[in-house]
Amino acid sequence: MNNIVIGRYIPGDSFLYRLDPRVKLIALLMLFIATFVIDSLWVMTGALGFVLVLLIFGKISIKRVYLGLRPLLFLLIFTFVFQVLFNTQGRLLISLELHYNLLTIFIAIFLVILWRFLKNKTPFSFLVFLLFFALAMISFVWIDFIRGFGTSILAVYETGLLLALFVLLRLIIIVTLSTMLTITTKPTDLNLGLERVLKPMKIIRINTEEIAMIIGISLRYIPTLLDEANKIILAQASRGVDFQEGKIKDKIVQIISLLVPMFIISFQRSDELANAMEARSFVPGQPRTRLNQLTWKPLDSIVLVISIVSVILSITLRIFG
Amino acid sequence: MGIKFNAISYEYLGFDESIVKALIDVNLNIASNHEFIALVGETGSGKSTLVKHMNALMIPTSGTSILFDIELNQTTIKDNKTKKNPIRKQVGLVFQFPEYQLFEETVLKDVAFGPQNFNVSLEDAIEKAKTALKLVGLDETYYERSPFHLSGGEKKRVSIAGILAMEPDILVLDEPTSGLDPMGQYELMEVFKTIQEKQNISIVFISHDMNWVYAYANRVLVMHQGCLVYDGDKTTFFNHPQLLDWKLEKPDNMKVFEWIKDKPLGRQDDKLNQTLKAYIKGDLS
Repeated sequence: MNNIVIGRYIPGDSFLYRLDPRVKLIALLMLFIATFVIDSLWVMTGALGFVLVLLIFGKISIKRVYLGLRPLLFLLIFTFVFQVLFNTQGRLLISLELHYNLLTIFIAIFLVILWRFLKNKTPFSFLVFLLFFALAMISFVWIDFIRGFGTSILAVYETGLLLALFVLLRLIIIVTLSTMLTITTKPTDLNLGLERVLKPMKIIRINTEEIAMIIGISLRYIPTLLDEANKIILAQASRGVDFQEGKIKDKIVQIISLLVPMFIISFQRSDELANAMEARSFVPGQPRTRLNQLTWKPLDSIVLVISIVSVILSITLRIFG
Repeated sequence: MGIKFNAISYEYLGFDESIVKALIDVNLNIASNHEFIALVGETGSGKSTLVKHMNALMIPTSGTSILFDIELNQTTIKDNKTKKNPIRKQVGLVFQFPEYQLFEETVLKDVAFGPQNFNVSLEDAIEKAKTALKLVGLDETYYERSPFHLSGGEKKRVSIAGILAMEPDILVLDEPTSGLDPMGQYELMEVFKTIQEKQNISIVFISHDMNWVYAYANRVLVMHQGCLVYDGDKTTFFNHPQLLDWKLEKPDNMKVFEWIKDKPLGRQDDKLNQTLKAYIKGDLS
């Protein structure tokens, strides 16, 4: 439960850490706009290069970013494969005839079972998956001497491949940028920055301070509640509740034994928190002073200018490129 | 039979990705009858972690724990064949805060939940629940009440009854007296003593109150910075030179006797002095 990487702050020291959270939020928004405006693969590759440079100067290890990307790996592969398979424009690159017969289907099923078996035993489960996928494809293509149920054609077109790469790069850039923000910004700072950035919303009668407070408390309580959930699981496990070895019929009843204490403890916690806040004279909507004041440094202006320039650059490239 | 720890250690990755050693090389044997063990130590010394190893809620990262002939270590866990659930019927662990386990609509149903998880029929489970509730001093008027509307002390009793209804061979209690009024603490400790004697089971309890250790335990375990530093009888324990290093203290009555020692008695009485000396050592026999 402690391995949640998305949205986790990791202490460090670089220019990204010293930036004002307001600037970071605005710059992130600008760079998002820029990535969505870009329409050519080459510019997108350039943007990825720019992000990599940011990572290196920001002293963030690529491994960290990869860990942030990993939960999305399935989504990335899914979009890539679909783009490749269903786009039929441009030059034809590869065309394969797939044969479906008893032998090939048997081989495919065998490979799936073998992969499921090996999945947890090797550290490179993804590479093994790719290997097995390739093996299955080869068997579909080559084994054509047995009378089968039919054939289908797998065709890959140039535009499809390029577009798939393009979407993949865009997703990677967006996730990397957001991971950079959460890695280098403490949740409290992020919250304060969000509150200040949203301040103009006050004109339309939206209390941004309260929204920021709600977001801040929710984020703060995720680990606490996970911890509580863990304790409840242990307490019920010692009363024989068993989620690993038990039967499914029993499990449904046993889930209630986890949910009820979870609800009660969450309500208790929020009640206590409300009391503690009131005891320290917190009144919703009243102006408050801050322990950490945000200060605008020259570096912040530079980053802001660079992010705005990148948006303008991407727009000009789209129009004239 | 019973609990047997062979050089168990437990490590985990801390917040800043450094290795935290919660347990270091603990060797321990607990028989399944006649024992009344107090587990003491400063906060954060690994008492709760040790206790969680006793009913297989945690598995040692190195070393082997043998719980009622079921061997648990990293290799047996990887095989995925060892069933941990049966151990929890034999070693009943009561957590410090009852809020984490109470969930049913009525007290009786909640207490009967434990036995039902171990394939006891509903009627038998209710019977066991009634016996357990009687043991902890809650009468029929409590059966149909909601566990959430009880006082802290009553909740605590219900949570203990919930484990007692499973009829464990070893009862492990994490701070059973915390959050109770002095009379309630005394009553509950008496309950444990009666259960231990009548049903001939073993009891392990964590406590920060040395008076309970002095009054009830027949064996003391001391945890200090993840190590089991003392395992023996309580007289030696209370006179141990390192008692203060372990952030522990003597019980109140021994303190009183020590205080009397320094007072002028008025007359020389060898017999009285002898008795006093014995008392100061914590030997009441």
